[in-house]
Amino acid sequence: MSLLVPCPTCGERSYTEFTFGGELRPLDAPDPEAEFARVYLRGNVAGVQTERWFHALGCRRWTTVRRDTVANRIEGGV
Amino acid sequence: MPELRRTDLRVVTCLASADALDRLVAPGHGARALRLAPDESAFVTAPETAPEVRREVADRVAALEDDAVVRDVGDGWAAWRLTGADARDALAWVSALPPPPPGAWIQGDVARVGAKVLGEDDGLTILVPAYWDDHLRTRLIADAGAIEVTP
Amino acid sequence: MSSFDLDGRRIPIEPGDTLAAAAFRSGVRTFTRSIKSHRRRGLYCLTGDCANCLVTVDGVPGERACVTPAHDGMRIRRETGWPSVERDVLSVTDHLHWAMPVGFYYKVFARPRWLWPLAERVIRRATGTGRLPVRGAPAGRARARSARCDVLVIGGGVAGLAAAATAAAARSRVIVVDEGEPGHALPPGGARTIAASLEAEARAAGAEMLTHHTAIGIYEGASVPLVGPDGLVEVEAGRVIVATGALEAHGVFPGNDLPGIWLSRGAVRLATEHGIAPCARAIVLDDGTGDGAAEALRGVGVDVIEVRGTIVSANGGRRLTGVTVDTPEGRRSFACDGLVLSLGLSPRDTLVRMAADDPVTVAGDAATPGCSIEDAVEDGRRAGRGEPVVAREPDPWPGLGSGGFVCPCEDVGVDELEAAWREGWTNSEIVKRYTTATMGPCQGALCSRHLAAFAAAKGAPSAAGGRTTARPPVRAPRLADLVGGVHEVIDRRTALHGRHVAAGARMDRSGVWLRPGTYGDVAAEIRAVRERVGIMDVSTLGRFEVRGPDARALLDEVLTLDVGRVAPGRTRYLLALDEAGYVMDDGLLAALEDGGYLLTTTSGGADRMETWLRDRVDRRGYRAHVLPRTGELGAINVAGPHARELLGALSDDDLSRDAIPYPGHATITVAGVPCRAVSVGFVGELSFELHHPRSRSGDLWDALLEAGRAWDVLPHGLDALDVLRLEKGHIFLGQDTLPDDHPGKLGLGWAVAMDKPAFVGRASLERMVALPLERRLVGLRFDGSPQRGAPLAVDGRIVGRVTSCTVSAALEEGIGLGWIRAVDGAFPPVLASGDLRATVGPTPFYDPEGVRLRA
Repeated sequence: MSLLVPCPTCGERSYTEFTFGGELRPLDAPDPEAEFARVYLRGNVAGVQTERWFHALGCRRWTTVRRDTVANRIEGGV
Repeated sequence: MPELRRTDLRVVTCLASADALDRLVAPGHGARALRLAPDESAFVTAPETAPEVRREVADRVAALEDDAVVRDVGDGWAAWRLTGADARDALAWVSALPPPPPGAWIQGDVARVGAKVLGEDDGLTILVPAYWDDHLRTRLIADAGAIEVTP
Repeated sequence: MSSFDLDGRRIPIEPGDTLAAAAFRSGVRTFTRSIKSHRRRGLYCLTGDCANCLVTVDGVPGERACVTPAHDGMRIRRETGWPSVERDVLSVTDHLHWAMPVGFYYKVFARPRWLWPLAERVIRRATGTGRLPVRGAPAGRARARSARCDVLVIGGGVAGLAAAATAAAARSRVIVVDEGEPGHALPPGGARTIAASLEAEARAAGAEMLTHHTAIGIYEGASVPLVGPDGLVEVEAGRVIVATGALEAHGVFPGNDLPGIWLSRGAVRLATEHGIAPCARAIVLDDGTGDGAAEALRGVGVDVIEVRGTIVSANGGRRLTGVTVDTPEGRRSFACDGLVLSLGLSPRDTLVRMAADDPVTVAGDAATPGCSIEDAVEDGRRAGRGEPVVAREPDPWPGLGSGGFVCPCEDVGVDELEAAWREGWTNSEIVKRYTTATMGPCQGALCSRHLAAFAAAKGAPSAAGGRTTARPPVRAPRLADLVGGVHEVIDRRTALHGRHVAAGARMDRSGVWLRPGTYGDVAAEIRAVRERVGIMDVSTLGRFEVRGPDARALLDEVLTLDVGRVAPGRTRYLLALDEAGYVMDDGLLAALEDGGYLLTTTSGGADRMETWLRDRVDRRGYRAHVLPRTGELGAINVAGPHARELLGALSDDDLSRDAIPYPGHATITVAGVPCRAVSVGFVGELSFELHHPRSRSGDLWDALLEAGRAWDVLPHGLDALDVLRLEKGHIFLGQDTLPDDHPGKLGLGWAVAMDKPAFVGRASLERMVALPLERRLVGLRFDGSPQRGAPLAVDGRIVGRVTSCTVSAALEEGIGLGWIRAVDGAFPPVLASGDLRATVGPTPFYDPEGVRLRA
């Protein structure tokens, strides 16, 4: 019932206060193949991934965290 | 039983760099300073003092940097006072946030919308975006058992 | 005399009765039928741990009769068995046990596949575990409140209260939760006195007692939901102490589920608390702990024979008639109608078997079943101080007999565990899933240790000590309790909401907003806009101000238009794409006089646009400020040939095209209200969208309606808007668009500045527009009255769909928008839509030159 997401401004809050932004991915790519991967492919690791969360019900800013997708536990902010 | 009543407050928002906001001296006139985000501070004040507060904030931040934005955005917010001995317990029916003691504040999920909760000597002030005004009032009355006192 | 109704039979109630006690006193012996074999089940534990006595109370199924106090007027139903629990036709399945080995569902009904849905319906009805009161269900949404504490103590017995007192004295915020009153589960006497003094100590130190609340699970956090009489309490606890005590160990031997077999505490409780004899003649099987069962039973007139040894079998048909025991003196058989088992204690640790790595400490009987009161208090004190509590003795696992039901909830016998093992399911968790043992209502409270013992005896490697995981909820909460605090619909309202309602508008949910659909006469509202002047509340539009040195860079990145080409005082239609090049939102960009920008979006897209903008500011480090103004500004659209005249009646400002170009904007004052007037063309008439402070919306609306009487002004809603914009061929995102529509498919290529070096979605879009277009949104004219959602076909093959349509009064024909696929490389010019003929044609349909809106 409670995955806590650490917001740098507001502190740890329940994930229900956030919008999930998915895996962190680069904004640009050097060539068409990298661009395709950037837009369409995801790592989807069973392990720790870097991801984006938007504190929709709080400060309304983005934060980047590392989450263990197997234990469903946030390891820390980035 | 706690009491609920609408209150008229203005909110002066200041958008500037984190550095400028760190150094910004808060205005007087009884305004409550809320650092909502690294690049956003809000000053909650009574309607009579709002123009003065806005001027003071604008002058002070202009001395720190050029392109800060200072606005009275009070129209965008609805404010409610929840008062009485049980005010903080009443909040528990609509929010998991720890109710702030007098002088402190917190922002987060209240009745499933984003709100700011200010601790007062006699209870709490809850600010929500104006379009959720009716939603908050209805939820508080339904779940927190608050009595509404018409302003 | 108070009484309750049990399946149509009146059962008298004595003071202090539970439903089970009163029913038993009146001669009821069968409470349920088992799930698979439909065997009779009677009272067994009387502590609320097993599932033998689940009944429906006043329409609420799954209540435990043995712990539910009886009240006058209750209606109780025993739900299992058909047609009744006493005469259950389906009990024939008990005799077909040989034909239904473990896992037989998977084996027998695998082929033919078409038989399974039918079989499933029959099987489901045959288990009969209760009917949900769908009609006339208790109405209302339960409330939910949050509570936080440093220490949550689950269980108000001796260990729990000691823990609470100690933690509270150390200035921790403590909550103690118990299903009843603290200490209620303790036998009268010394234990209760100690509990009472510990409770006083805990209260004095500031611990909060939540009585009559049940903890239904331990979730990550630790987060523990409690179900209570007022609703749900969601507790966020720093740490949790589980002090839920122990229950009598379940006995497994052939015939172990016959009515008449009792766990010792159950029989003792019935005798001493309710003064009821559980039977006439009882065999009390004692393992040496001697808890006074024999004495208690003799006190209510039961003929007791105390026996030591191992049970070989219990015998009987519909109830117990005798037992066979291997005693130190040899094998003996006894005739009796009661068997009382005192085989030791099991920790009541279902909650603990749910928690993963959360901070949970177990204290008292729940850690060491059967520990002394002093030891329990000591455990509690240690737990209260945050020190680890170690079980004093290893948990002695029970032995399994040669037969009998290991899991009474799910009717799983020892032979089925053996069969599953032989089939290769050689791991306790897998055997659990294959046989469903421990997966019933008690979640292994009775039998998880037996299952672990079974696996260990087979030499299986065991994780977590062989104990299988339990799943929440521990007790069945009502769905209304679980949704307490979850608000499905949260409506946003504009400042004019009250006026719309007072004017008789039908309010519709449009995305997250409540908006007027119509004020009563849609055709009249449309005519007002086309011929005279109409007004509409568009305060729901997303509006953002973007300022700062990097404002232009930010907007150029997120939008497809060339921001630099929008001069101050001018507006331009904008599109925002996602990374895959598909249309995410549309709106207008206005360049403000002082160098900032005002961005408008669709009502439904505002939130997303804000997250989008903020993401780019964060990732790129742009020096740009995003100021959301949606809540702060009202907006009213004034549209129609007389729009300028209406505004002129309320404003001294220059409203000509010199002052407010098309497309453009300017600040003006209307009826004393400061506005930014944006000239827009959405409905195809001369329009001014007035953005103003929300607090002045009422004044402005009232003034427009009053002055507008000279032109017979009408307010219009979404229904009229739908037709007006459709006559101009303008799209509604989400209604006329599909998730993979790029601008080319929508005929909006003109809104994309492809010569801009970079913007979100550019690379994907470049790749897609190089390919032949295989789908397009087109304008359609019909020779009749079209239907929204209707297919569009060519030679009987469906190649498209109508996304919006209407019979236009202004054009006197059926028009619409729809998407169509290319057929053999070309887009068909004519299609069939049901019985109608649809001709593809250019849009706008109405005033194609756009003369009226440029007036």
